[in-house]
Amino acid sequence: GFPTPAAAQGNEVAFMFLLIASVLCQVEPVGRWFEAFIKRRNINVSASFQELEDEKELSEESGDEELQLEEYPMLKTLDPKDWKNQDHYAVLGLGNIRYRATQKQIKAAHKSMVLKHHPDKRKAAGEQIGEGDNDYFTCITKAYEILSDPVKRRAFNSIDPTFDNSVPSKSEAKENFFEVFSPVFERNARWSNKKNVPKLGDMNSSFEEVDAFYSFWYNFDSWREFSYLDEEEKEKAECRDERRWIEKQNRAARALRKKEEMNRIRTLVDNAYSCDPRIKKFKEEEKAKKEAEKKAKVEAKRKEQEAKEKQRQAELEAARLAKEKEEEEVRQQALVAKKEKEIQKKAIKKERQKLRTTCKNWNYFSDNEADCVKMMEEVEKLCDRLELASLQCLNEALTSTTREGGKAAVVKQIEEINEQIRREKEEAEARMRQATKSSEKSTTGGGGGSKNWPEDDLQLLIKAVNLFPAGTNSRWEVIANYMNLHSTTGIKRTAKDVINKAKSLQKLDPHQKDDINKKAFDKFKKEHGVVPQMDSAAPSERFEGSPLDSSPWTTEEQKLLEQALKTYPVNTPERWEKIAAAVPGRSKKDCMKRYKVRSLTSSWDCTRPGLERILCFCCSMRYCPRDSV
Amino acid sequence: MAAIGVHLGATCACAAVYKDGRADVVANDAGDRVTPAVVAFSESEEVVGLAAKQSRIRNISNTVVKVKQILGRSSGDPQAKKYITESKCSMIEKNGKLQYEIDNKLINPEDVAKLIFSKMKETAQSALGSDVNDVVVTVPFDFGESQKNALGEAATAAGFNVMRLIHEPSAALLAYGIGQDSPTGKSNVLVYKLGGTSLSITVIEVNSGIYRVLATNTDDSIGGVCFTEALAQHLASEFQRSCKHDIRGNPRAMMKLMNSADIAKHSLSTLGSANCFVDSLYDGLDFDCNVSRARFELICSSLFSKCVEAIKKLLQQVGFTADDINKVVLCGGSARIPKLQQLIKDIFPTVELLNSIPPDEVIPIGAAIEAGILLGKENTLLEEDALIECSAKDILLKGVDESGADKFTVLFPSGTPLPARRQHTLHAPGNISSVCLELYESLGKSPMNEEEKFAQIVLQDLDKKEDGLHDILTVLTMKRDGSLHVTCTDQDTGKCEIITVEVAS
Repeated sequence: GFPTPAAAQGNEVAFMFLLIASVLCQVEPVGRWFEAFIKRRNINVSASFQELEDEKELSEESGDEELQLEEYPMLKTLDPKDWKNQDHYAVLGLGNIRYRATQKQIKAAHKSMVLKHHPDKRKAAGEQIGEGDNDYFTCITKAYEILSDPVKRRAFNSIDPTFDNSVPSKSEAKENFFEVFSPVFERNARWSNKKNVPKLGDMNSSFEEVDAFYSFWYNFDSWREFSYLDEEEKEKAECRDERRWIEKQNRAARALRKKEEMNRIRTLVDNAYSCDPRIKKFKEEEKAKKEAEKKAKVEAKRKEQEAKEKQRQAELEAARLAKEKEEEEVRQQALVAKKEKEIQKKAIKKERQKLRTTCKNWNYFSDNEADCVKMMEEVEKLCDRLELASLQCLNEALTSTTREGGKAAVVKQIEEINEQIRREKEEAEARMRQATKSSEKSTTGGGGGSKNWPEDDLQLLIKAVNLFPAGTNSRWEVIANYMNLHSTTGIKRTAKDVINKAKSLQKLDPHQKDDINKKAFDKFKKEHGVVPQMDSAAPSERFEGSPLDSSPWTTEEQKLLEQALKTYPVNTPERWEKIAAAVPGRSKKDCMKRYKVRSLTSSWDCTRPGLERILCFCCSMRYCPRDSV
Repeated sequence: MAAIGVHLGATCACAAVYKDGRADVVANDAGDRVTPAVVAFSESEEVVGLAAKQSRIRNISNTVVKVKQILGRSSGDPQAKKYITESKCSMIEKNGKLQYEIDNKLINPEDVAKLIFSKMKETAQSALGSDVNDVVVTVPFDFGESQKNALGEAATAAGFNVMRLIHEPSAALLAYGIGQDSPTGKSNVLVYKLGGTSLSITVIEVNSGIYRVLATNTDDSIGGVCFTEALAQHLASEFQRSCKHDIRGNPRAMMKLMNSADIAKHSLSTLGSANCFVDSLYDGLDFDCNVSRARFELICSSLFSKCVEAIKKLLQQVGFTADDINKVVLCGGSARIPKLQQLIKDIFPTVELLNSIPPDEVIPIGAAIEAGILLGKENTLLEEDALIECSAKDILLKGVDESGADKFTVLFPSGTPLPARRQHTLHAPGNISSVCLELYESLGKSPMNEEEKFAQIVLQDLDKKEDGLHDILTVLTMKRDGSLHVTCTDQDTGKCEIITVEVAS
């Protein structure tokens, strides 16, 4: 023994710190204490060994004391022959504890019943005793016989007459699910082979608990069996064959009942499952979760789209602003140019006026009237033709010199101007000549150069070709004869000539053909009809040097170009390469030209192919240095 | 009702029977208590036991030995590879399973084990005179799940109802009944098992009658066979000295010599010297030689030191000194060697060396005892690992001894399986009116200080007694979650104080 320390220090209260939790250890599954431990754990007693032992002893001792045997009122009227339908627990006075009764209790109950009801006892008390087996005491013996044998007791427990086999219907549990089903499950839990049957729980049970509950009950492993209800008793059989037959019968009956039992449990669980508000809740939660996920997805998508849209808007806005700015700049430039032009115009006007006044002051460098008039004319011409700079020079020279010097300068200028005018005229003439020549060449080239084909003859030829369609026998000879017969020119033509001419005619522009058809009688008009041909020939020469595509700009291409111009602002490096890349089928040069044309006309609305062509033509004239105009 | 425990070793198998509260090893039909785990396949029959071992000289490719080493292993296992190269039987892999190929027939290792189990069953039944099915089978601690399953299947195939597979070291403890009498106290036991082909040392903590393995170490490179081989080598050199013939390259002669050395080794465990005699060992020459125990110990001195070093290594691994071990259990046939026992005794001079049961019978007897415990129980097979809650720290009660110095009493040693209850009675001098109980928790052996005090209970207004003592009964109950209930009662007045110490979450 140890002496406890005297309570000296401030000992009014018992204070406590917290312990650290227990740890899980793996132990060897051997030895009696391990078995005891596991058993204790399985029966869920949280006590030490001593306590368990104590309790066991206690229960053994107190069991007899506490065991309150209920007297079965009908006991004395029981018919021993009808033992199968009797409640053996009630017979032994254990009606209140039934299947929970321990073997010891059963034994004790039997003992007390025997002490009370044994025929010898009653005989001593002077009671009437039934004959042999007919006495109700046989029932007590039978009850003990069944309840003391674990197998027979299990069989009897299985068909316990007081057990409520009912299964609540779905409608019953609509309102108070837990109140209805909880006792039912607890009642049926006793059939489970496994210990620790999960409880139904309540509304606050977690999903795992509910899941475990239903999976347990759906896989319910029952020990309930129905051998007690066997119709025939195996022991009664007289021979082996009969025994076998009985066994077979019994087995079938048991299997049927077992199946029914399983169905019952199944229905119970099904009903519970379908009524369980928690399952509904979980399903709803699941659904809500899914919905929320879906919503979140949609939301995310929408946001993304919005962001995209915003970005696009911003881009568009930026482009629009840039465009506006550009336009503004162009307008400003145009304004400036206009102003400059006006200034220049004014300056020229002023200079001209100055020249005129100086000349007038000096009386046009002559004294006689005729000379004066002629000089005036010349000066006027000078005023018209001279540029601002040369005019200024001239004026300066005139102001700085005397009348004679001025005259010399003016005359020299006039001469220069006249020379220029003459040269221009000559050039124009030469060009005219060349043009007529080339046109003549083109018109005569079709005839193969062998014979002249006047307009009348051409008309006739066309008529003849139409008259004798392809497939006519020796068509071209016939046409030639026809021509010779009807021709007014009197030129003899062979079939070969006719073929050549017809072929060359076919090669010609159909418009020209039409023109020939329409205005055949008018020679002047015929010449006029050839002029466009000359025109179209002239630019084709000029286009030769440039790779300009003659194909017109379509609306789509135009749009692409505009877009590209917007996306690549002026300061972008290699802007035109990028723009060209953005417009399929167009080179860098094409695009540049196109852009220049636009800025020239300052109108972007030139999508008509006709205008296009002219514009292209203009810009090619102006911006291709190789092309001499 | 009877049940048996079977130990299948690499070289030998042994069965013990539990009957009428006693466990005893049963002798086989040859009169031996231990049956060699050797199976010989011939055209017409399978022979298990001594006959197979002896006929192995002539029938080497058809005789399976050490089947335990290959059982339940896959071909990728390094141990299995080592076994295949050493085995004299051809092994092939089929459907991912290793199988013996004997006489163009494929034989599973499980089937070989089954034959051995059948032999053990036969032996037990002939000894009992009745049919017996319930069995506890031992497995080494380092056996994996597949190996355990293979062993269990083999036993089931032999017609056994395997109640449980238990580890060999715990079976050894059970054989000596360690911790079985009263479920209190805590001790550490070292199990030294030197088997035929392996040495395994295990430290087991026994707490409240429940065993817990603290550390284990298995060395497959040393076993009883090594001693036999060393002796055979010595005998071969003796033969060479006398007869001028080197027989080391002759497998058949070496095998004869091995068998002879084995017998000599066994007798040297009890006798001072042994005689080796082999008829017509080589070239018609007989071999006759006397080996003294001293000579044998000299030959095997390096092996002995290796066997002993392993103990020191394991103790170091656990952080124990020799004094922390309370008991040493010897098992495995080779633990019979007197020199080895002496060496172990030298390491643990103050410790009780348990060798009263023949070491090669310790494990089957333990298995049989466990079988007796399980007998008549339902669901004896454990579904999951045996994990139980244990207290994490020592719980101590402070007291004062006669001289007035503090004295601590351990009420719950760390590792006590929970729930648990302890009661302790203190005697206070009758002249004081109040007492104070202080509870401490501690993890190591370091001296207590105030910080480790976690609760104190004060019992006041005791009746003063001029002579005699106050009996103060303290009952501590620790629940599975680690919370502690303390009830303190004065036996005279019935005055009572109760506190509950919850777990810090």
